[in-house]
Amino acid sequence: MTNITSEEIIETDYAIREHRSLWIDAWQRLISSKTALLGMFIVTVFVVSSVGAHFFWEYEPKKDLDYSLKLKPPTLVANEEVPSVHLFGTDKLGRDIFRRVVHGGWNSLRVGIVAVGISLILGGTIGLISGFYENMNMTSMELITLFGVTGFSLGLLSAWIAGQPIQAFLLAGLGVVAAAFPEFQKDKPTRMLIFAAAGGILLAVPALSVSKTTALICGLYGVLSGMLISRALDGNFFSSTMMRFMDIILSFPGYLLAIAIVAFLGPGLEKGMIAIGIVGIPVYARLTRSAVLSVIQKEYILAAQSVGEGHGRILFHHLMPNILSPVIVQTTMGLAAAILSAAALGFLGLGAIPPEPEWGAMLGDSYRYLASGAWWAVLFPGIAIMLSVLGFNLLGDGLRDALDPKLRT
Amino acid sequence: MSRYIIRRIIAVIPTIIGVTFVIFMFQRLIPGDPAVAMLGEHATEESIERLREQFGLNRPLFLDREALAEGDIEGFFDSQYVRYMKRLFVLDMGESIHRRIPVAETLGLRFPATIELAFLSMGIAIMVGIPVGIISAAKRNSAIDGVSMVGSLIGVSMPIFWLGLMLIMMFAVFLQWLPAGGRISPGIEIEPITNFYLIDTLITGNIEGFRDALEHIIMPAIALATIPMAIIARMTRSSMLDVLQEDYVRTARAKGLGRGMVLSKHALKNAALPVVTIIGLQMGTLLAGAVLTETIFSWPGIGRWVYDAILGRDYPVVQGGTLVIALVFVFVNFFVDIMYAVLDPRIRYD
Repeated sequence: MTNITSEEIIETDYAIREHRSLWIDAWQRLISSKTALLGMFIVTVFVVSSVGAHFFWEYEPKKDLDYSLKLKPPTLVANEEVPSVHLFGTDKLGRDIFRRVVHGGWNSLRVGIVAVGISLILGGTIGLISGFYENMNMTSMELITLFGVTGFSLGLLSAWIAGQPIQAFLLAGLGVVAAAFPEFQKDKPTRMLIFAAAGGILLAVPALSVSKTTALICGLYGVLSGMLISRALDGNFFSSTMMRFMDIILSFPGYLLAIAIVAFLGPGLEKGMIAIGIVGIPVYARLTRSAVLSVIQKEYILAAQSVGEGHGRILFHHLMPNILSPVIVQTTMGLAAAILSAAALGFLGLGAIPPEPEWGAMLGDSYRYLASGAWWAVLFPGIAIMLSVLGFNLLGDGLRDALDPKLRT
Repeated sequence: MSRYIIRRIIAVIPTIIGVTFVIFMFQRLIPGDPAVAMLGEHATEESIERLREQFGLNRPLFLDREALAEGDIEGFFDSQYVRYMKRLFVLDMGESIHRRIPVAETLGLRFPATIELAFLSMGIAIMVGIPVGIISAAKRNSAIDGVSMVGSLIGVSMPIFWLGLMLIMMFAVFLQWLPAGGRISPGIEIEPITNFYLIDTLITGNIEGFRDALEHIIMPAIALATIPMAIIARMTRSSMLDVLQEDYVRTARAKGLGRGMVLSKHALKNAALPVVTIIGLQMGTLLAGAVLTETIFSWPGIGRWVYDAILGRDYPVVQGGTLVIALVFVFVNFFVDIMYAVLDPRIRYD
């Protein structure tokens, strides 16, 4: 062991691999997986065909109608009965299904991206902030904001009851005062009493101009709000409030909630995007929060804190890059789920407004003709949904293996 | 342990209140007047007003600030929401606006249909998913593993309503082996005991009825089982792979125990925890999310009923149905949490 020959040194040099960044490393792992490559291929075909069709293959759904070609089976060459070629056959209005499937991809892609965007941005922010402040003491500025916003939200109810917007601002002011003097009578009943009284007076006095009973109710409400504000609210308070809220959204089955939201907003592709996006918020919020919780105790965060870096900088420079991989994986898988949900909404007649081509809506249009043997009108849009979803799922699976080699089984 | 359960029960309460609140909100915010929807466009002002009075639709949603301003504290709280909550406490869900049948009554008929379908689907999913997962893990990276894992990925990628349609096309239209929809053929009498047709027919020895009910349920059950089956198979595989790397598995093998013995006695038991969790979660989704399957197969369950009610603005039905679905969902999740703590004593919840 002690005698190392020169050859051995050269050999060890060869063993040291060239330096590669984390992302290039992940990329190498990704393209070395056959299933991930297949997923990437499907996704690419799907994206290129739908974007290409949208911009370079003209299609006017409103004018596409030919009863002479109603429900014709797929044809590969033109014949007497069907003078044009229809690779996937035609539907109940004589429209070429191949054309509509290709154009439908644009709509599905849009729904997927916008819906996931909504869930990711809202859910991700909620999760990031919740996870961060659960483990981080708030600075005085942040506490003032938290107390102010809490006071304002609490004040809204009483402001509505009395019809006086000023009440919300008064309670927000009380919150700011409470945050500015955290040491005042700390942990003593007097603090609670003082703030409860202040809350009661602040809300009851303006309400007197409406009526005595209004003032009474507002005053009682003010006392309760004051008691809450007097307590030492912190990141945990914010986080648990948010997560409880997410739990409530999660306790509804996804489809039903999406249907209810669309019923509220009215049908349409854009409404569908919003509905699917809202339903997905808790998923991203929980994922981001747990990802933050798993890294926030790491030494580099502590180090960043101890050299005096601000919360914003820690969040964006140290935390975000390190929780990116699960979020990327979830986003890819989320695209698949969003396409599926959009198809389901379309199938129930709550997505794209006809005659706009959309896979789910095409299925919903045609499934009644199944009994008369028109299998092609149902088969091809369904295969399109399945393949695109499969593509994103395969890619997501591959990304998970590539980005997190520890999890690799 | 009991302290943990009590804490979990307490934590469920605000969720339930929130659920009732959201359900209430959504139905009231949907545009369109239910009184008009009920009486038709040509109803007179007075009859609409009378109906609104009868169902309490003329009251404010949450709190009546005008009544308060006039000094009427009781009137202040007399809102649609408070009335709704009061009725809920005595389990009165009102009656359907369109059909004038109590919601609870229809629920009693339709809920068993959904549960029967969900349980059978979950049974299929477990009986196929777990063995597939175990075999995949045992024969890792083999052809069987590859096929079953790609298969399960296709399973999660398939829209279930499309799979349902394909099954109908195959077995009802082309082969004509099975009926395309419904729960039972007309003309077959079933004595309602549990309202689970498969069980009722078995108890009463109605073999013909049992066959007919089975023929009706098998396609929707398979369609509904696909996604949980795929998810269970994947979860079983990855959980088994984790466990198979453990030292005690190697020790057991080294002691000369057979492969099958080690897989079933040592590995499976310890790999069961995440699988049980995922089964519980999928059960909630199954019970609740059968809207699409029920639509395709004209299955007379809750999902389809609630969907129709949303479109028809039948508030009491939407509220009652969604509430039951959401409560089942909450309850199943709660149960999964408890199971988790029971099954794994290593996890300490204080």
